[in-house]
Amino acid sequence: MIEELRKKAEELLRSDTVKVVFGYGEGSTPERTRPVFITKPEDVNKLTWNKYCVYNLTTYLKRQETRKLGKPAIIVKGCDAKTIIVLLKECQIKREDVYVLGVTCDGVGEPLATKCKACDVNTPRIYDDLVGEKIENKEIPFDERYAELDEYEKLSEKEKWDFWQKQFAKCIKCYACSSICPLCFCDRCIVDKNQPQWIDPSAHPRGNLSWNVTRAYHLAGRCINCEECQRVCPVDIPLNLLNKKLAKETEKNFKYRSGYNIDDELAMSTYKEEDNQDFFK
Amino acid sequence: MEKLLNKNSFDSLITGLKKQGYKTIAPKKDNKLVTLEEIQDANEISLDHVITNNSIKEFFFPKTEKILSYTIEKNKVEMEEPEGFAVKSVIFGSRPCDAFSLPVMDKVFNWDCSDKFWVERREAITIVTVACDKCDSYCFCTSVGLAPDAKQGSDVLLTKISNDEYLVETVTEKGENLVKELESVFSDPPSGTPDRQVATVEKKFEIDKVKPWLDDNFQHNVWDEFSYKCIGCGACTFVCPTCHCFDIVDECTMTKGDRVKNWDGCQFTMFTMHTSGHNPRSTQGMRWRQRIMHKFKYYVEKFDSTLCVGCGRCSRVCPADMNISEMLEIIATEENQPVSKE
Repeated sequence: MIEELRKKAEELLRSDTVKVVFGYGEGSTPERTRPVFITKPEDVNKLTWNKYCVYNLTTYLKRQETRKLGKPAIIVKGCDAKTIIVLLKECQIKREDVYVLGVTCDGVGEPLATKCKACDVNTPRIYDDLVGEKIENKEIPFDERYAELDEYEKLSEKEKWDFWQKQFAKCIKCYACSSICPLCFCDRCIVDKNQPQWIDPSAHPRGNLSWNVTRAYHLAGRCINCEECQRVCPVDIPLNLLNKKLAKETEKNFKYRSGYNIDDELAMSTYKEEDNQDFFK
Repeated sequence: MEKLLNKNSFDSLITGLKKQGYKTIAPKKDNKLVTLEEIQDANEISLDHVITNNSIKEFFFPKTEKILSYTIEKNKVEMEEPEGFAVKSVIFGSRPCDAFSLPVMDKVFNWDCSDKFWVERREAITIVTVACDKCDSYCFCTSVGLAPDAKQGSDVLLTKISNDEYLVETVTEKGENLVKELESVFSDPPSGTPDRQVATVEKKFEIDKVKPWLDDNFQHNVWDEFSYKCIGCGACTFVCPTCHCFDIVDECTMTKGDRVKNWDGCQFTMFTMHTSGHNPRSTQGMRWRQRIMHKFKYYVEKFDSTLCVGCGRCSRVCPADMNISEMLEIIATEENQPVSKE
């Protein structure tokens, strides 16, 4: 599969279809990979593919430094491909400006990432070209897809509050969670706006609560559950529980799964007269 | 002074410290992390890790701290300075790299003015370091002039000499006083040469080669090329024991407020953003260059000291696997040195 990937990348660069390939390269330890940006056909051997390819490379579509490299081909797993769908729907990218190089995937991470345990996108749902043996995407029932919330949802309100207080106390406000998130693409984040100061920049209980809750809410109905925020958190806050809970509520209430079907209308920015909330009428 | 400390005595050590009025901070395991934090009981201490996830920095320079409170009335402003922030404590089980970060940072916190928050805490806190008996591939203390059993910055150094025993060496007068205060906890040192269990940390580069290259290569394509993968978060700077930039904000209403000092970091876009909208460090390559230049050139020129202790935390936590020692290795190995296209 690595050879197929390299061959495809080389073709794309040689034919000038793209200027750069966003892919995975060898990392600083055998248990890591790292994002690589291949601009010359002779460098395609730097590309690799293995179970440590956890990154959602679509985040580099929002960064000016990597955007400047020119039209990219971007290697995406099924989960990452959902981001492409959201970015298209939210008018952040144009379809013709990105070459989506899908890879089939049967799980990443060691131990296996939580998102992979109930994966129904082993084969990406959007791509220009696919590398790897096509895997028939399973249908996974609602409850099973949100199984990681089972324990959490059993907690009482007070227990949930105590749980998050303890978790957020660890937050150091490094903003790795939002920096890595491909869907946190505001030019100026709300934490950087200080007239008025919406969110206390201090890493004290109030500042940490308002930051972490706001971050999660801004992704409600948008998060595609790549789990990158949780992976990169240097103080190990289980951020995905928040994202997953909001995704579950969105699906329950609006029958919407973010990034799943390109024809679905966005849950949070589509007006419908039959909306069942009174304040909408 | 040399003594011996048996693991069985950890209990009486912690009880003894409490009796003497010390707060104890030690490495504690919680799920995936081992963090230096306040402990009440010797059972909480964990010493089988390579390095704690948090650095020693936060006990001297917290992530957030009130430096002033004020109230504004019609004709006057009243200000109140915080008190009681320096609590008599012992940090037990920090690593030599972390301990060394303290004298390195003393230089900047006592430079043009003396930062009382730092200075008073430095006086109140005693550092009992445990030499590293293991390391990982991110460690590079030996490349920046340190060692896994270096003493600089510690008041007392403990070195493992058997599964249950540590050789205790006092380094400063403060350390000696601490050991004297808790005399009954320690026993006499073994006769002969004890078998010190100290990790072998591979030397990755010659530090002397780094600065000359930096002197000549402020303009270089390598800064951009190395940092395409950087996502511009502050994880590296916040886990770093020697990164010390901060921001000051007022958290206030119309009539009263707190002036707060918070960690800040040079990898954020907003760090150098001017009010006009101009940003002199407009790309991540420039911001990455700043991190390297500050640690291995500017600080060396100003304070005659490298602003890096080789703990490797920045590389361990980096979301995109940016690796600082890899960059330094490239710089310090002449035949690998990147050729500038500028």
